Amino acid sequence: MSPHWMTDAPRPFSKVLVANRGEIAVRVLQAAREAGLSSVAIFSESDSSSLHVEMADESVLLEGDGLEMTYLNGSAIIEAARSSGADAIHPGYGFLSERANFARAVEGAGIRWIGPSANAIETMGDKISARSLMIESGVPVIPGDQIPMEEGADHLGALASAAAKVGYPLLIKASAGGGGKGMRSVLVPKNLRSEFEAAAREASAAFGDGTVYIERLLNRARHVEIQVLCDSHDGAIHLNERDCSLQRRYQKVVEEAPSPAVTPAIRDAMGEAAVTAARSVGYVGAGTVEFLLASNGEFYFLEMNTRIQVEHPVTEMTTGIDLVQKQLEVAAGLPLGISQQDVTQNGHSIEARVYAEDPSRGFLPSIGELLVWRPPSGPGIRVDSGVREGDSVTIEYDPMLAKLIVHAPNRVSAIRRLDNALSSFVVLGVRTNIDFLRNALAHDSFQSGEIDTGFLDSTEQSELCGEDADQPTLVAIAASAQRLGLDRQDNAGMEVTDDHTGHQGDPFRTLGRTFP
Amino acid sequence: MEWSVPDDSGRYKASLKEGDDSVTISSMTRDGTEVHMLEVQVESEDKKGRVIVRVGGSTRIAHVARVGDTWWVHIDGRAHEVVFHEQGSRSSENEGSLKAPMPGTVLQVMAKEGQRVREGQHLMTLEAMKMEHKILAPKAGEITRIHFSEGDRVDMGASLVEIGD
Repeated sequence: MSPHWMTDAPRPFSKVLVANRGEIAVRVLQAAREAGLSSVAIFSESDSSSLHVEMADESVLLEGDGLEMTYLNGSAIIEAARSSGADAIHPGYGFLSERANFARAVEGAGIRWIGPSANAIETMGDKISARSLMIESGVPVIPGDQIPMEEGADHLGALASAAAKVGYPLLIKASAGGGGKGMRSVLVPKNLRSEFEAAAREASAAFGDGTVYIERLLNRARHVEIQVLCDSHDGAIHLNERDCSLQRRYQKVVEEAPSPAVTPAIRDAMGEAAVTAARSVGYVGAGTVEFLLASNGEFYFLEMNTRIQVEHPVTEMTTGIDLVQKQLEVAAGLPLGISQQDVTQNGHSIEARVYAEDPSRGFLPSIGELLVWRPPSGPGIRVDSGVREGDSVTIEYDPMLAKLIVHAPNRVSAIRRLDNALSSFVVLGVRTNIDFLRNALAHDSFQSGEIDTGFLDSTEQSELCGEDADQPTLVAIAASAQRLGLDRQDNAGMEVTDDHTGHQGDPFRTLGRTFP
Repeated sequence: MEWSVPDDSGRYKASLKEGDDSVTISSMTRDGTEVHMLEVQVESEDKKGRVIVRVGGSTRIAHVARVGDTWWVHIDGRAHEVVFHEQGSRSSENEGSLKAPMPGTVLQVMAKEGQRVREGQHLMTLEAMKMEHKILAPKAGEITRIHFSEGDRVDMGASLVEIGD
């Protein structure tokens, strides 16, 4: 039985399989349940007691080791949908979300694909074809060279001449890439070959496609992206921008809406370009068009992400529109029900990604058991997470532990709220970037909103260090705790946590998310 | 019992005074030298992993948890680690040895045994989570041993490369 709100939908469904894990699986499973849909999780052996499995009405084990056998195993996932009776699949982000073949296979199996068409994924997924389509549609692109360079083929001559044409510094990007993988900057010609080889290798490992292309590296530019939402009735709107300029090695760290660098005029122009880009591929669903915004206000198309984004919550907080709910509605064939004029911007929202990584060791992934995991809560604080206390962090999967999102009337109060929330986010047992996030937020350049995408990579580590710890006090606390016998095994009396999320004071419940 | 904090070779020794459910520390040495400190009183809060810390008239709550030889302490909005060592044990860590900072796979080895390298030279590339990480020489010197070759899996903490003077 599909839920009541789907009664008049042309393509109703009733049971959603979420082809993902971690926080996004939890987010989508929660949304499915809120929407009155049954939910199915998939999981690998090592994820059998993960939070996303707990969140689902039922779950299916994908047997075998490694991603190829599990979360990247399209046919096993479609079989899981069949066996559990799921009539829709939501891919989340990452994994199979941008594999056109998977989208095609899902639809071919008579299961609703909660995402854009396979064709749209294919066109936008190939950075080279996306570029040409944007040029055709009149969306500005970065000067670059589109010669595809297959790994293993004789490419060095073509590469060198293309590089000379584009000019240094330049960026080598995987055509199939995303998330900073397979992306390398080359500042001087002598590094061209080694960086190209590294990019191609990373790209084939991560995406199974070693094709790369090059483009001019724009210095002092910001990463600003537009959220779009399109239905299958020719409705297409944008939900304003997100600024994701705080990045480390092209990996987003902090995202905010609105962007401190975007004026109403830029917002309108960029929004219009994003909607044009989406329309040019007949896009349906939630998508993101990424731009580089130069300091002179000019912007260039970077790529379109044909899926829900990690940073989607900041748009939800400021527009009051639940993007995952909208994805479900659009997949059922319903019209958006919102026009561009209905889209508002309320206050300021910032998201900080909490990673299991060690900033003092070059941001290497850290592992361990989450001995203590106490996410913050309070007005305007939302935590999207896929882990709970006692869970183990391994190198098997992405090191992102949680997204901490705050909403406040303006940017200054949002930064304060985020810093305060980070300071009460207690994670013990696994090193995280929480301190680093606080230090980055406290930096004058972030406070004044004057950062570009190179900020974190070009800023001296010492400028991003917090106050020195009071070592004697720390030693005193540890020595006392040991003497008092506070080793964890000896201490019963767990605190009350929410059954579903493992959070204390589940922020989803206290925040009062708004629905259209 | 001796204590240390990461990235600092100093060893602390504290004298503890035990009361009812609390411990007071008013003096401490660092590598045998008395350090200046305010008296710290730590009281068990009877809750899992929480203590009440009194320093110089102010009272704060700290979260503590132990794994292996490490106590994790969260206080004043930041998490820290404090490691304890049995009396007299000295770290066997050899300065010229490069340990794997994470479990992963060796993707590339750029150096040979017997080769002289400069500080910061790229010696090896490890891969974990589909990201590549460069292993750089911590100091100039001659490579005395390379323990792994391309394609090998390494555990966290495994010695990768040894550099002599």
